[in-house]
Amino acid sequence: MTGTGGRARYLWLGGLVAICLGLLALAAWQLVVLERQMRIAATENMIWVFGQTQIEALNLALALSDEAALQQIQTRFDILVSRLTLLEDGPQRRFLENAGVSETLARWRSGLLALDPAQGADPAALRAHVTALVAALRTKASLVMSHEWQSQATRLDSLRHLHLLALMSVLGAAVAGLGLVAILIDRERRLMSGQLDHLRAEKLASDLERERETSENHRRFADLIAHQFRTPLAVIDSAMHRLTRRSGGPVPPELISEKAAVSREAVARLVKLTDTALMMSRLERDAVLPSLRAHDLNDLVSSVIDDLMATAWDRDPARIRQSVQTEPTVALCDPMLTAEILSNLLRNALLYSPPDCRVDVSVFQSRDCIVCRIEDRGRGMSPEEIECAFDRFYRGSGHETLPGSGLGLTLARDLARIQGGDVTLSQRDGGGLTAALYLPKDDVA
Amino acid sequence: MSLRYHIVQTALMTALVFMAVPAAAEDVLLTLTGAVTDGRVEMTRADFDTMDWHEFSTSTSVTDGRPEFRGVLMRDALAHAGAEGSSVRATALNDYVVDIPVEDFHRFDVLAALYMDDVPLTPRDKGPVWIVYPRDNHGVLADIRYDMRWVWQLVALHVQ
Repeated sequence: MTGTGGRARYLWLGGLVAICLGLLALAAWQLVVLERQMRIAATENMIWVFGQTQIEALNLALALSDEAALQQIQTRFDILVSRLTLLEDGPQRRFLENAGVSETLARWRSGLLALDPAQGADPAALRAHVTALVAALRTKASLVMSHEWQSQATRLDSLRHLHLLALMSVLGAAVAGLGLVAILIDRERRLMSGQLDHLRAEKLASDLERERETSENHRRFADLIAHQFRTPLAVIDSAMHRLTRRSGGPVPPELISEKAAVSREAVARLVKLTDTALMMSRLERDAVLPSLRAHDLNDLVSSVIDDLMATAWDRDPARIRQSVQTEPTVALCDPMLTAEILSNLLRNALLYSPPDCRVDVSVFQSRDCIVCRIEDRGRGMSPEEIECAFDRFYRGSGHETLPGSGLGLTLARDLARIQGGDVTLSQRDGGGLTAALYLPKDDVA
Repeated sequence: MSLRYHIVQTALMTALVFMAVPAAAEDVLLTLTGAVTDGRVEMTRADFDTMDWHEFSTSTSVTDGRPEFRGVLMRDALAHAGAEGSSVRATALNDYVVDIPVEDFHRFDVLAALYMDDVPLTPRDKGPVWIVYPRDNHGVLADIRYDMRWVWQLVALHVQ
């Protein structure tokens, strides 16, 4: 159906183009013909030519009646003969034939030549002949005039006719052109609305996809939070249970302090989880505005390590080895956000490597960045795992039981990027994983 | 009838040619006045004969076919008379007068023709001199504004 309609439209279009061009060509041809006919031909001047002949006949008659000098009569005679000869020439003769006066004129001229004064003809006979010729010409003049106006009028009619035809052709072409324009505008409109529909559909599909992703994220997030909340809550519950279950005698102070420490760590984990969730949600809403200042990254690293040690009772401060730094490592960053990133990376390094293995932390300058490198000696990650390590809710294989939201790395990278930096992971030479935080150098420093 | 008409016509034309008084070498054909040497130059057939002659065929507005014209170039004739001006007023035997810009004679090879189809032009036809434009070589010349400059029976040129 649409195919047939399309072909019909194309036929219309082609037909209109052909009509338009054809009419324009016709108009152009008519104008060319018109231009050719516009020239004035000398034969159209016959009234003047004939009038001149009349005047010359009168002049000769005058010269003869004045009995002028022979030389003068001869000149007037010659001129009159030349006028009559002119009327005998091709175009003039045809005109006079059409006007019906040609043959009589030929007779007048032969009569005149027979009375040539140069041949000593009788002046009286010549005078009589010329007088008769003047009278004859007078009657013929009106015939010539009416014929000339007749032919002029006919020619003007034909010019007007051609002109009208050309005008109608141009008007026809204009109408065809308008039709063409209408069809083209209609096509363009269809095309535009088609494109618009397509764009709208694409946008709807992408909106839907994003909605689906968001809702999936929320679902997984809720699952994860529920799951991750359970473990610390269970730890606290079990600690409390241990303290209250002892019916016989007072609870030893060591046990209280041990269970308190365990509970506090569980609470700290809950708080951390809540903070991460809050930060993610703010990031998603673009509500995090970093306040960038110059800070020594080395100092930031030291304070983050101190905080980490303070919040976990069982952590061995000796595990983290921060290399001594001599060169300045001033970065342009937000200290709160950077501490969050470092804390996440350090926790990961401690969590995913055996408790007796060292974690090396070093801060140094590259060409245009300050870099903090955190190297652990754990199981490390395969390149494929590294590839998706920054995806939301991604948990390393075999680590599903360890505490963690699967959001830490995502958060770390997002936070680094809004400060103009980045976070990368790579395999450490000799096993383990290297996490690196890049932050822009403070230009002033 | 038509045949008789043509015979009569041909006979008459022939008669015209032979009966016309042939121009003697010393007869003045063309008189130039105005801005010419000493204000007046009379050109005889002998003067024409000292100049370069040219010929070409062209259609005209008053004859059929393309007669061959022979004569001298108008610009040569003007140069011969030492003419210095931008316009000439041409006068014919019957007092027909027309102004022709001298530029015409430099733009086109305009002929002061003395012969048409090898027949000398006489006052009984379009002689003694007929100004002939090379009408077929230049489209612009096929126009009434140039047709009226084809002065026949030319006898005088006033240079100004």
